[in-house]
Amino acid sequence: MRLRLTPLRALVLVMVAALSVVYILPVYVMMVTSLKTPLEITQRQYLLPSGNLQFGNFATALRLVFPSLVNSSVISLTVTALSVFVGGLGGYFLARFRWPVTKVLFVLLAIALYLPYQAVLIPLVRLMATTRLALTHFGLILSYLILNVPLAAILMATFFFSVPRELEESAEVDGASRLQIFFRIVSVVALPGYASTAILVFIQVWNEFLLALTLVTPYTTTIQVKLNDIKGSYVALYNLQMAAALITVLVPLTFFLFLGKYFIRGILAGALKG
Amino acid sequence: MSTPSHAVRLARVREAAPFALPLLVFLLVLYGMLAWTVYTSLSDWQGTAPNYTFAGLKWYRFMVGLDRFWVDLDNNLRWLVLGVVPTTVLALCVAYLLEIGAVRGIEAYLRTLVLYPAAMSFVVTGTIWSWMYQADRGVLNTLLRAAGLERLTSGYTTDPATATYWLILIFVWQYLGLAVLILQASFRSVELQEMVESATLDGASRLRILIAVLIPNIRGGILVVVSLLLISALKVFDIVYVVTFGGPGYATDVLALFQFIATYQQHLVALGSGLAVVIFALAFIIIIPYTIYALQRWFE
Repeated sequence: MRLRLTPLRALVLVMVAALSVVYILPVYVMMVTSLKTPLEITQRQYLLPSGNLQFGNFATALRLVFPSLVNSSVISLTVTALSVFVGGLGGYFLARFRWPVTKVLFVLLAIALYLPYQAVLIPLVRLMATTRLALTHFGLILSYLILNVPLAAILMATFFFSVPRELEESAEVDGASRLQIFFRIVSVVALPGYASTAILVFIQVWNEFLLALTLVTPYTTTIQVKLNDIKGSYVALYNLQMAAALITVLVPLTFFLFLGKYFIRGILAGALKG
Repeated sequence: MSTPSHAVRLARVREAAPFALPLLVFLLVLYGMLAWTVYTSLSDWQGTAPNYTFAGLKWYRFMVGLDRFWVDLDNNLRWLVLGVVPTTVLALCVAYLLEIGAVRGIEAYLRTLVLYPAAMSFVVTGTIWSWMYQADRGVLNTLLRAAGLERLTSGYTTDPATATYWLILIFVWQYLGLAVLILQASFRSVELQEMVESATLDGASRLRILIAVLIPNIRGGILVVVSLLLISALKVFDIVYVVTFGGPGYATDVLALFQFIATYQQHLVALGSGLAVVIFALAFIIIIPYTIYALQRWFE
């Protein structure tokens, strides 16, 4: 069967073409620019790839961002693991203990889920400064944990909802405790849910800027803060800026491209149920 | 003497405690800090050392007397309207066109295409778009000149009259995919598909189906998208900080940026807390309908 070009199909094609340009151009420009010499940029040759690919730009950019890449990895991974753990426990409570107080808790969580960070920024920074936690990774780790546990709990609750109760009931009959049932059965069945939650939390923490900027110390600079520094201090060196930007998005973008299914499920779980 | 139901209830609470307690502790800390912010906004804290002397509404009065505060509110309003309405309408069109006219492969391609910015940070998008917008040698102006469209070139974020709009465009670009994803998912309920089918059999046009059948029946999805966009537009900080830092002048300044600068550069911490309370109050208003909707869905 041949596809005929109906007006509707034509409209879809126009839309696809327009969106393709709008969404590919910035990333294409980023990639091409990151491999150019400063001279080529001054000469305004943007669209064509460089004739003389400057992979050295990436070496330079990587040298600049490497310590903050390590900081961000340590912070994001720790926060992800801990908030998925605490959120998993809390989510199970939300999903299985339907008490009147659960409703109150749910409302408090829903507000916390969309809480602008500004609302707690000043006390949080004060707390981390007076306890000197801000001088180590723990300052940012604890801060992000407090801010991401509500999200993790709500997401995990939506995933626990879809775990059949019969699985738990038979284990109950066998005399297993609630915690055993949670860790050995429910959590195992809900592993894809854990993956979705982990990816969302990781990307959120990796990409966070306001708190990382406010709590910045030379030892805990995150990749986003570093990229902003590079943008400010290498004003005319767009090739270097773009190479650093590309390194910064590489991790979350890899997650998105290879684990996109979990990412999308997480967003939908958070959007439609939470 | 405890009744059996009492004992049972106690056992249930004991059973629930390990699950609920850690979450409760974190929530308590979070809301404690929120209360702390509110109290700080009523204090007289200026300078680096904390000063919790109660000063009443002193710094709120100071805030509303500032020109900058009203410029910021004005700009935030622009963000709220222009960051949300066009994104939602555009997302609705894209989602519907995909629903009725797309070949399978194209749908997967387009979804990835518009959604990938959701995985990127505003610092990265800000860095890229600064380069696109750069007035003298930037990508967009260079392309326009090459195409012979010299008069369409623009100063973008360096022109005070239009700077905020160019920033909002970055936001729309970044959030469109999320909106499309959520709206598309809300099209997919069985009842809704059946309603569309019977409307099609009745000979309704596609546009009529969209307006009369789909949109009224995905109010939930639209509410979620609009709330998400409103909150994100309200607390916008990164894009402004990275691309213009509020400039030129105060042209692109927003509440969140002023909050940061008042607190950490001018050390007017009470004022900064007051601005934080204003941002939170606005967010709270936005979140109420959403919370009611979510609560109903959860405890139906």
